[in-house]
Amino acid sequence: MSGSSPRQGPGRGRAVWLLVLAVVVGSLVASEVADRAPRTNADRVHALAGDFACPVCQGQSLGESDVPIARTIRSTIRTMVDEGRTDSEVRTMLVDRFGEKIDYTPTGRGLTGLVWVLPVLVGAAAVTGLALAVTRWRSVPADSGTGCRGAGTPRATSNRTLVLVGVAVVAVVAGVLVAHTAGDRTAGDALTGDIRSSTRTLLAEAGVAAPAAAETLYTRVLEIQPSNVEALAYRGWSRWRTGDRAAALVDLNEAIFLDDAYADVRVFRASARHADGDHTGAAVDLTVLDGLDAPPIVGDLLDASRLRQRIAGALASGGELLAALELLDSGLDSGSGAGPAAGRVASLLAERGWLLASTRVPELVERGLANLDEAVAVRPTDPHALAYRAVVGSGVASRADDVVADLEAFATLESPPPDLVAALVSMGLFDG
Amino acid sequence: MNPVRRAALAVGLVLAVLVVVLATREAGQDRMTSHLVGAVAPPVAGGTLDGAHWDLDDQRGRWVLVNFFSTTCVPCIEEHPELLAFAGVHDGSDPAVPEVRVVSVAFDDRPSAISRFFIEHGGGWAVLPADTGRIAVDWGVVAVPESYLVTPSGHVAAKVVGGVVREDLEGLLDRALAAVAGDRAGS
Repeated sequence: MSGSSPRQGPGRGRAVWLLVLAVVVGSLVASEVADRAPRTNADRVHALAGDFACPVCQGQSLGESDVPIARTIRSTIRTMVDEGRTDSEVRTMLVDRFGEKIDYTPTGRGLTGLVWVLPVLVGAAAVTGLALAVTRWRSVPADSGTGCRGAGTPRATSNRTLVLVGVAVVAVVAGVLVAHTAGDRTAGDALTGDIRSSTRTLLAEAGVAAPAAAETLYTRVLEIQPSNVEALAYRGWSRWRTGDRAAALVDLNEAIFLDDAYADVRVFRASARHADGDHTGAAVDLTVLDGLDAPPIVGDLLDASRLRQRIAGALASGGELLAALELLDSGLDSGSGAGPAAGRVASLLAERGWLLASTRVPELVERGLANLDEAVAVRPTDPHALAYRAVVGSGVASRADDVVADLEAFATLESPPPDLVAALVSMGLFDG
Repeated sequence: MNPVRRAALAVGLVLAVLVVVLATREAGQDRMTSHLVGAVAPPVAGGTLDGAHWDLDDQRGRWVLVNFFSTTCVPCIEEHPELLAFAGVHDGSDPAVPEVRVVSVAFDDRPSAISRFFIEHGGGWAVLPADTGRIAVDWGVVAVPESYLVTPSGHVAAKVVGGVVREDLEGLLDRALAAVAGDRAGS
């Protein structure tokens, strides 16, 4: 400050700079928080549509393009804005569905993050270079005049070299990490993982998880939606499968209390009741189920487990043949679990015939054989129908030829139920 | 060495390493054919041509082929016989063949044109003719036809961009069945 007069000392100079700084900062703050007219939903839709590229156009934004997909996305943005979604939520949805390439505002994630990182790196390098150059210029006269140790001496140069090497190593490592992370990321994935989760997603993930993991996922759903019947029912079933029977029944009963028309839980509770020896209660659950509009998976579950047939067998063994037949007839009459019905009908008819024939009452045996004939006619490869008819027919002289034919057909089955094979072998009808 | 030159050398080295890494890294999957694959299928629900309500969530336990189409798109018209053949084979009548439910979701089309299209070309599966914009956006559909194979657990197993061919669909289904069987065996 050799040119400054005593009246314009360092204190006055600092005050001027502080004033300038205050004015600049104040202006920025005022411009940011000044009253503005609130943006309408239409303004937001217009702004958002201008911030994203049309996925199938060249150089046109969603707002500018009139191709169907652009119109559809604009309509979706409008709907989301009207629903009260934030701009950030809309942006997230669009990037998630169509990729970052349509986002005109590059994010700090993945490869596009380099857009932000590279200028900073270059700027830092430039400042560093400038500082080094200034230091060098200042050090030249000092070195030449005095020869004392300072900037520019071997030690100072060595320190600067170490700093430079350190900066270079950090930059290289950061660059490699950014690049590799961008490469590993699949489309639609976020760099730091996806924290978005919905109950629907959790339920779907739980559907393919092991029982213990599924129970955790269903519990998370219930933390979000305590009255989610599907989560309650399936958590109950998961708990049943992992052996926690008391907690399972609490969940299953609660699910039925909340929605007595939810089909899946009826199957679960029927299975639980059957396992606990409450066959009548199990039959009630399945009879209620037959009056519901059940999804196909419920029918598949019943078919695969033969739950209805097993409950009917248990009822008949307990002397409740009529209840057993009613349960089977209810299954035959219902359309629950629409799908390939032939197998289901044959299996239920076979069970009906077997229970009737097992009474050994001639009239009922005759009816049972009629049911078994019908079952084989509906599905000639039904293992239970073939085996049951062979066993029942072996006690009827006029059926000898049919027995041979049934056993031959049974022998050709690819994977007959082991319990049936064992039963036929123990009766001497089949040699395995 | 001059410190400025060293700084310049360091920056140059950083940039060179970046170029090498970016040039040699494995390319990411093609979003066009991989988007949503492995993820939970987004919702598909709405009124059908025959006035019923159809919901993908009601199809749990079934394989589903979600087909986005338009009656004005030529590839959609060309793929229709292939869809018919695929749906016919996988209609559930043969226990040895996995059942696959087909659902067609119209994209930017008129219900009357869609109705006429299915009368003329056949196809007895569920067709969602209207209010499907949100569905298309949820699935990230960019241009029709696009088709997605959904597993019985509700996950997207495969995506087909452009018109489908029955043999290709069978291949995708076989691979998906094997993957599902592998998952079950592993769990």
